[in-house]
Amino acid sequence: MDAVIQLENLQVKLGSRLILDHLNGALSGKCIGLLGPNGSGKSTLINTLLGFYPPLAGRVRIFGKDVQENLRELRAQIGYMPESDAFIADMTGVRFVRFMAELSGLPKGEAMERAHEAFFQVGLGEARYRKLGTYSLGMKQLAKLAQAIAHGPRLLLLDEPTNGLDPEARQRMLQLVRDIRDTGEVRVLISSHLLHDIEECCDEVIILKEGKIAALCNLEEERKANLKFLELEVTNENGFLESVRDLGCECASFGAGRLKIVLPDNIEVRQLYKLAVEHSVQIRRMNYRRDSLEDIFLKAMMNGATPAPAGQKALSHGRL
Amino acid sequence: MAVYKRSYKAYSGALTPAWSRFTVLTRYGLGRLFDSRMFTAYTVFCFLPLLAGLVFIYFVHSSAAQMVLGVKFGRQPLINNEFFLGFLWIESWLGFILVAWAAPGMISKDFANSSIQLYLSRPLSRAEYLVGKVSVLAALLSCTTWIPALILFGVQAEMQGNGWGWDNLWIARSIVVAGLLWIALMSLLSMALSVWVKWRIAATALFFGVLFFMAGFGVAVNQILRTRWGWLLNVPQMIFIVWRALFRVPLSWVELHRDTVPLWSAWASLLAICAFSLWLLNRRLRAREVERA
Repeated sequence: MDAVIQLENLQVKLGSRLILDHLNGALSGKCIGLLGPNGSGKSTLINTLLGFYPPLAGRVRIFGKDVQENLRELRAQIGYMPESDAFIADMTGVRFVRFMAELSGLPKGEAMERAHEAFFQVGLGEARYRKLGTYSLGMKQLAKLAQAIAHGPRLLLLDEPTNGLDPEARQRMLQLVRDIRDTGEVRVLISSHLLHDIEECCDEVIILKEGKIAALCNLEEERKANLKFLELEVTNENGFLESVRDLGCECASFGAGRLKIVLPDNIEVRQLYKLAVEHSVQIRRMNYRRDSLEDIFLKAMMNGATPAPAGQKALSHGRL
Repeated sequence: MAVYKRSYKAYSGALTPAWSRFTVLTRYGLGRLFDSRMFTAYTVFCFLPLLAGLVFIYFVHSSAAQMVLGVKFGRQPLINNEFFLGFLWIESWLGFILVAWAAPGMISKDFANSSIQLYLSRPLSRAEYLVGKVSVLAALLSCTTWIPALILFGVQAEMQGNGWGWDNLWIARSIVVAGLLWIALMSLLSMALSVWVKWRIAATALFFGVLFFMAGFGVAVNQILRTRWGWLLNVPQMIFIVWRALFRVPLSWVELHRDTVPLWSAWASLLAICAFSLWLLNRRLRAREVERA
């Protein structure tokens, strides 16, 4: 799949602080998650993608085009939903979205039609003639999404889309993002500090830490690679661990009989049972477990930021 | 696509020309202003001097009308450069109220609600954003200042005949230059102040303050320092000095005996205000604030 966003030795400095430090990588997922703790540079990266901040060094490409050199063209293809409130309080919802669509270059008639469509799509059809200032927080978030999609962008940048939403509204927002992603007509980049949101929507994730890429991995591949990742709880180890290793499995003991094992393709689970019998070990619990995004995130935070060369994954598939 | 088809679809149709995007801001800006009946009524009121001017020109040139009213205008030409200067001065201050009403809300709301980032995330530069907003004020002020004055000039030229229009073409030029100077000054100053003060009422108060309280401060400077350069802080006075020169109206007896500043310094102070306003706008008109460590 072609890269949507390419970061080439990107450095961004704001004031005297270096916020993004030598970012390298190619993001090509349908839905890309941008993760990181507060102050890690997520919003700065989004603002750099939008051309708000010029890079100190390096460059960013979107759809293969340099952002700074093709700003106007690229902005016409981007839909942006900011994290903070951004609206015109005394305008009706549909007029606001139409206005934004016209600024993106749509003719009046088309803008009006697509503004109505966008409002129905996000589920605010009945409230579209109300003034934005009267909307609840959840409705404002949806209106922000409507203005971001009304002009039919090829890339959607969503900055904390579920911020401040109750669980029901949050699920609705995530479902909308998935629906948009599944049309295949738009690539989505979601910035969030909520791992669950990213895990539900994204197939690729970039994790920032202190302005550097701490991890960049394809979640789909990660999930496939961890199909034979087992968690075991046994009564005693009695040489069982060594025998499992002799089979060719990667394994680790976490004490109190808790083991983690990665089975290679040629090893069946029943062989573990045989070994357990041979070593008189009782298997009390066995779970297939995949590396969750939380594991990947925590691992990235513990490992520290390791800048990855262009095109290379900063973190390989989850291992023990 | 109909509204019941509730799935995302990319847009692949025609786009409007890139150069015309700022006009969307202008159109919506004017639309929002004229949503207010009060504003619409006041805008209509601003055209009353034009109506009065037209009636006056008609009476000056119509002996029958003068007979009906029982008045007789002397031979001295009443419709001259001083007439147009006076007309423009009245219209400009009516226009000033329009600007004080419209400008703060137009731009400070974008900052108060952070919608500026939505504008600038689209194919619209900061300069185009500013041009779009200034065009709203320029359109309003044009309709209430130099355009009505030119209409009067045309009517006078037509009724007077005998090549009056050609002989006094410099007055038309002065009307346009004076009008554009007023528009540039008022638009940029009001925008710059609105950008820095996000609260609409405060922005309006500051706008009045800069124009009138600064004048008082200038007088105080003159008195305390025994100088005349305090006049440079009096923006209306500086505008009047420049306009009077443009319309070739001589100084009055009072002004001849009062220390005033030279014409070049009046021009320089007005241009400096425009430049300073642009600098303020350039500093503030950004999608994102950068906090310097």
